[in-house]
Amino acid sequence: MMRRRIEIHCCFSRIFRWLSYGLFLPVTLSGVWALEYPTNKDLAKHLKAAAASQRKVVHVESFLKTPDKTELWFVELGAGKDEERKRRPALLLIAGIEGNDLAGTVSALAWLESLTKGYANDEKIRKLLDTTTIYIFPRLNPAGADSFSAKPKRETLVNNRPVDDDNDGMVDEDGPEDLNNDGLITWMRVEDPAGEYMLDPVEPRLLIKAEKTKGEQGTWRYLSEGRDNDKDEAWNEDGPGGINFNRNFPFNYRFFAPWAGLHQMSEAETRALADFIVAHPNIAVVFTFGSADNLIQTPKGEAPKRPPTAIHEEDVAFYRELGKGWRETLGLKKELSGASEPGAFSDWIYYHRGRLSLAARAWTPALQVELAKSKSGKEAEKPKEEKPKEEKKEKDDKKAKEEAPGPKKEDKTAADQSGDKAPKKAEGDTRNEEERAFLKWIDENAPEAFVAWRSFDHPDFPGKKVEIGGFAPFAKTNPPEERLDELAQKHSTFLTELAGKLPRIAIRKAEAKHLGNSIYDVTIQVENTGYLPTSLAQGNVTREVHPTRVVVKVDEKSILSGTRTTMLGPIEGSGGMKEARWIIHTGQRAKLDVEVISMLAGSVEASIELKQQN
Amino acid sequence: MQVQIQKRLSVTTGVALILLFFFPSCLMAQISNRKPKASDPSEHSFPALGSSTQRKVQVEWNQFYDHAGLGAILARIHKAFPKLTKLYSIGRSVEGRDLWCLEVTAPGETKPERKPGMYIDGNIHGNEVQGSEVVAYTAWYLCHQYGRLEKVTDLLDHYVFYLLPTINPDGRDRWFHHAQNPHTSRSGVRPEDDDRDGLMDEDDVDDLDGDGSITQMRIKDSNGRWKAHPSFPEHLLAPVEADEKGAYTLLGSEGIDNDGDGLVNEDPAGGYDMNRNWAWDWQPNYIQSGAQEYPFSLPETRAIAEFVVAHPNIAAFQSYHNFGGMLLRSPGREGGVMRQPDERILQFIAQRGEKMLPFYRSMIIWKDLYIVWGGEIDWLYAGRGIIGFTSEIWNLRSLTKTNVAPTREEEAAFLKYVLLNDGVVKWKEFDHPTYGKIEIGGTKKEWGRTPVSFLLEEECHRNMAYTLYHADQMPRLSIADVEVEKLGEGLYKVWVTIENSRLIPTRINQDVSNHISPPDIVTLSGPKVKVLSSGRVTDRFFKRVEAVKRRPERVELETISGMSAVRVQFVLSGEGRYAITVDSAKGGMHASEQTLP
Repeated sequence: MMRRRIEIHCCFSRIFRWLSYGLFLPVTLSGVWALEYPTNKDLAKHLKAAAASQRKVVHVESFLKTPDKTELWFVELGAGKDEERKRRPALLLIAGIEGNDLAGTVSALAWLESLTKGYANDEKIRKLLDTTTIYIFPRLNPAGADSFSAKPKRETLVNNRPVDDDNDGMVDEDGPEDLNNDGLITWMRVEDPAGEYMLDPVEPRLLIKAEKTKGEQGTWRYLSEGRDNDKDEAWNEDGPGGINFNRNFPFNYRFFAPWAGLHQMSEAETRALADFIVAHPNIAVVFTFGSADNLIQTPKGEAPKRPPTAIHEEDVAFYRELGKGWRETLGLKKELSGASEPGAFSDWIYYHRGRLSLAARAWTPALQVELAKSKSGKEAEKPKEEKPKEEKKEKDDKKAKEEAPGPKKEDKTAADQSGDKAPKKAEGDTRNEEERAFLKWIDENAPEAFVAWRSFDHPDFPGKKVEIGGFAPFAKTNPPEERLDELAQKHSTFLTELAGKLPRIAIRKAEAKHLGNSIYDVTIQVENTGYLPTSLAQGNVTREVHPTRVVVKVDEKSILSGTRTTMLGPIEGSGGMKEARWIIHTGQRAKLDVEVISMLAGSVEASIELKQQN
Repeated sequence: MQVQIQKRLSVTTGVALILLFFFPSCLMAQISNRKPKASDPSEHSFPALGSSTQRKVQVEWNQFYDHAGLGAILARIHKAFPKLTKLYSIGRSVEGRDLWCLEVTAPGETKPERKPGMYIDGNIHGNEVQGSEVVAYTAWYLCHQYGRLEKVTDLLDHYVFYLLPTINPDGRDRWFHHAQNPHTSRSGVRPEDDDRDGLMDEDDVDDLDGDGSITQMRIKDSNGRWKAHPSFPEHLLAPVEADEKGAYTLLGSEGIDNDGDGLVNEDPAGGYDMNRNWAWDWQPNYIQSGAQEYPFSLPETRAIAEFVVAHPNIAAFQSYHNFGGMLLRSPGREGGVMRQPDERILQFIAQRGEKMLPFYRSMIIWKDLYIVWGGEIDWLYAGRGIIGFTSEIWNLRSLTKTNVAPTREEEAAFLKYVLLNDGVVKWKEFDHPTYGKIEIGGTKKEWGRTPVSFLLEEECHRNMAYTLYHADQMPRLSIADVEVEKLGEGLYKVWVTIENSRLIPTRINQDVSNHISPPDIVTLSGPKVKVLSSGRVTDRFFKRVEAVKRRPERVELETISGMSAVRVQFVLSGEGRYAITVDSAKGGMHASEQTLP
């Protein structure tokens, strides 16, 4: 029994790219890259330029060299020395953890740009970078960018490591081919009564799975473009690469799943990232661009289980509020379907490391369609209460790997019945609604993103009707380049806001009441002036976020009541407070030194003067 | 011998005098000055059954060896048996100690990596030391008995053994060379902040009385609930009755509060569990304590994972722990993976083990012991499709040789009468910085979880023999029969019978269901031969054949089951010589040269 894998490969019009060069090259260097997907070389250049322009706060270094010698870049932002930055509350941004996330990298660069520039001329950003540390991995999987600019262009989620995807003893022996020489790896449809697909009755350029229970007959096979090189009757099931890093993490990891690796943390890159996380416990919030999404829709919560299957119910409120902010920033008036993936990095951060972990797809067709609707003034579908079900992606042997949710099976919402061609039941019509709407948008805004189906004489299918065409590589996962600027600006805005929401401790009150002789009743009140708590519920459950501790710097013997180190429980944000108290025999001291250390919320010191009272 | 001198009052005094002098000198003549030659006794030995006659490498099997000692044993074995062994390091521990592997197999046509492989390791928990001696003993025994015992010769001819005596050498050496109790130094030594106070490993056990063992602390307390044990007061306490007045309170293991947080010994070196760091059913620390940050985050476990992945011929494994006398099998957690056909094989093998190892029981980890997430055995079975066990070596029932666990008194009696108190640490006064005047005493770290000297070799041999039985169940393939039928028109029908004469299939059920290893491939080729069709024979009596769809020269087999035969049909045209090969990842590579009639 063979496993079949198909990789997606896509491309963009060259003409358009040249146009954008011509139009925008005169603008500042940094302005240019915000408008196009950077190659790995471009990325390195832009990062180094950012560091050079603001050396005091921007530090760029090569984090790791992949086996094929590509650099993985790492950016650290913050004022002051290394040790100071390591103690401050930190936000981590990850982009390009999946090979086909190109837009996330663009947004990461745009945000870096705004912070770099902002440090010089924006009070808010200067204050932010003086008190907060920001870590950015702008592109963890460089292979996707390479295959974006390769000939032919093909969409890939995995790294370059050769892997025997179909377990036939041969490695990477059956990849896709650009049969029609259009420079893109697109799709093939083969007319075949054994096929599982049928043409979408409303939009025949699209294919949907035939449902036999509805009496539908499949008449088409739907494959990626290429030959069956190893003659095992599976097309392109074992192409170049690789592992998808965002399926390689321990939470909800799926053994034996495609592109997940032989086991969790099997790749040097994922291990290096995990070791980085462990070595930087000051990271309070992680934001990941990828195929998981818990911002476009509020994730469900549950009473804590071991192991958990949903967000801790006490943490849901933060996800809800931040999700609202995200949707507002994007210009959305409602939730769209979220997404979760087994073995995702963002899940490992939350469920195993106990930190706030936000995940978003940088762009989806559904988002684009929804924004286009609001722009054109068309009313969103019906009531605001509408909450689409959270999509769980099922592995599909033949279907393309795509970012947008697949055809909904039981979507009961009333959709506009634009298709009145075929006499179909109401359910059949709405089955492929999102894809149709997206194709319509593509027709009007980026026609090169869908290649018209054209007949092809395919040697593997003698006598059968074969057509090549379909969505271009990356078309369903990354926006047309001219949309990047607006999108990246929105992301930047959100990320800057988010960075300001980290927990932050301060000493609200530090006083020593004189009781007599040199005995003092010492009280320290520690407050959290940030938005997030010093530890989420999941941080406490996992015990990964250590309690905030207060250390009063005297020897144990001098403490008559209390302990030298006192653990405080989690302190809520927005002015939450916890108190610690001691009775101390201070002897000859003129003052008492106190230090408060929080894993996520920074640390603060105070010195209390010991005044004698009569 | 007593010589009785009879004094005679008769005859002459002279005779008496002479006799008086004579007899003693006779006596002295019977105690001569001769002494035996102090040559090496082993040169004059006659072996008891079980060990080799000739011992090229001398090792005492009644004591333990630290990492350097184990390495020395392996090095000497390798030097003495260069043709049978390869010695290499598969990686390094946190502190840089090599994880030594002795590869043992007979030289021959087949390369070692194309023979079914048995992987054996020990001592994943630093304090569970005796497993390493079992592995070293296995290496020593196999090499010495090759050519002498038919069974060993057969094993080394057909299989390859990967022997790793210790996979936690840091924990092991720390157990030997620092004061410990039987349970401490289980972990590796990568620093961890166990008590979340911002410091790592700052409060380890303390050998307050400097005797090399961490024993118990007790304090005189008229409100205590313990009293001196009436029969063994030098080191044992007995609980008092509910209404009885006591004399002592137990304070816990020897130690002081090194970091002033009111807790004693709460943050020792390391603090994790290497046997919770494996990638199957892994859960983080709060669900499975000791699991570390992510699977294979430790250099030791990662090295082994990479080794196992790089050796797809490994078809069986054994991992030695202590203690309790258990032959453990997966799954580690309730609801974990264990497929019926695979379980039957494991149970069968373990049942033989129960007969060979007195007082050992065959058990399922989650059900009969406790829940383990992320254990080595689960990853090797469920993730890599390898049949194997974790054995907990040594059972206190071996002290009394009855199948009832000895009482504390029976244990103490053994210490007193059989060991003459070797291992007892008598209560001694000590001035403790926190508790004041206390007493420290108990038993040494070598008592309880590790065998006594004269029973250690027994554990080595019996456990080795059981594991060799297990190894002997690895697939044993042969091309048992090639039947050719002339079909006319220059066509031939060839039936190849491939036998597996052992219990373990080439691909176990978990492997087949998840495509862990590639299928077994049977090929037929010849310079003047063209294969037109082939397939697996599904019924040899009614001649039903399932033809392959493409590439007829190679037939893919899902598995070759244990104690069974598979038949493959090839229909070909041509003439002359042809070769049949069976290429199985875990069953090895086998070939047969034939000629068409």
